[in-house]
Amino acid sequence: MQWQTIYKKEMLDHWRHFKWIWVPIVFILFAVMDPLTAYFMPIILESAGNVPEGATIDIPNPSVGEAMIMSFSQLNMLGVLIAVVISMGLISRELSTGVYELILSKPVRYSHYITAKFTAMMTLLSVSIIIALITGWYYVTVLFGDLAFTQLLTSAIFYIFYFMLILSIVMVFNSFLTSPGLVAFLSIFTVVVLNAITSIFDHVITWSPMLISDYIGTYFFSGEIETDLYFSTGIAIIISLLLLWLSIFLLKRQEMH
Amino acid sequence: MDDLIIQLILPLVILQLILIVVALVDLRRVDETRGPKWVWILIIIFGNLAGPIIYFIVGRKG
Repeated sequence: MQWQTIYKKEMLDHWRHFKWIWVPIVFILFAVMDPLTAYFMPIILESAGNVPEGATIDIPNPSVGEAMIMSFSQLNMLGVLIAVVISMGLISRELSTGVYELILSKPVRYSHYITAKFTAMMTLLSVSIIIALITGWYYVTVLFGDLAFTQLLTSAIFYIFYFMLILSIVMVFNSFLTSPGLVAFLSIFTVVVLNAITSIFDHVITWSPMLISDYIGTYFFSGEIETDLYFSTGIAIIISLLLLWLSIFLLKRQEMH
Repeated sequence: MDDLIIQLILPLVILQLILIVVALVDLRRVDETRGPKWVWILIIIFGNLAGPIIYFIVGRKG
């Protein structure tokens, strides 16, 4: 079986499970929610009516950059969570239900099997992220002021590589575990640990991929891409490829037992 | 001001409705769910944004 056949089969599966509809919609809602609430907060507080007479609430209106960062940070938490749970069963479920044996009874290469599945999921995630961020950008520009579209698009492309890293972490756990729940738990645990390490040593490991969204934030303020953003994205790509190679290796090894 | 609110909120309400409808269509189509189907109908309709998401992730089998 060719790489393209597995890729097409995966894409068809994503369609059948309506992932191509609900994942982009959910990402859009995530990206739009925070800037919107930030904008309407004064009105919400006013109509809530619990404000004592004569009290003035002074909430500083976020700048355009800050509002746009809100979109990113929402995707950084909830978006990553969704990305992990929709890919937790990518291989592990097939391992546990026996579909995997069925597929590998045909002449399929392990590398094709893993990379095709990875690419199909990455296509879904990238499209969802881009659509969500463009919608978020539209809301931000309407509510808070101008922000160059090219700036948003550049950031979105950098940001996709962060998700590539997350997905390759999920793939590694997928390749040797048969329980999707455990895959999701360990993947999220890994991301949390990496985040913690990065925030403790953020002066030393300035190239950590976990800082990609932070660097995108500074890009919105300064308008210039820092070299650190290139570095951390480069590291994200390298680690992703290594992890993919590792998951191919682990899957092969499992087959021999 | 009111115009702006409607212009910005309405598309989101429509997206949310699409999400609910798609989840219900999927629920009708699948043979089995984790737990009884009528519970999922309630979760999808009254679960706000989280309802359909939880259904898609946890509800459908296989």
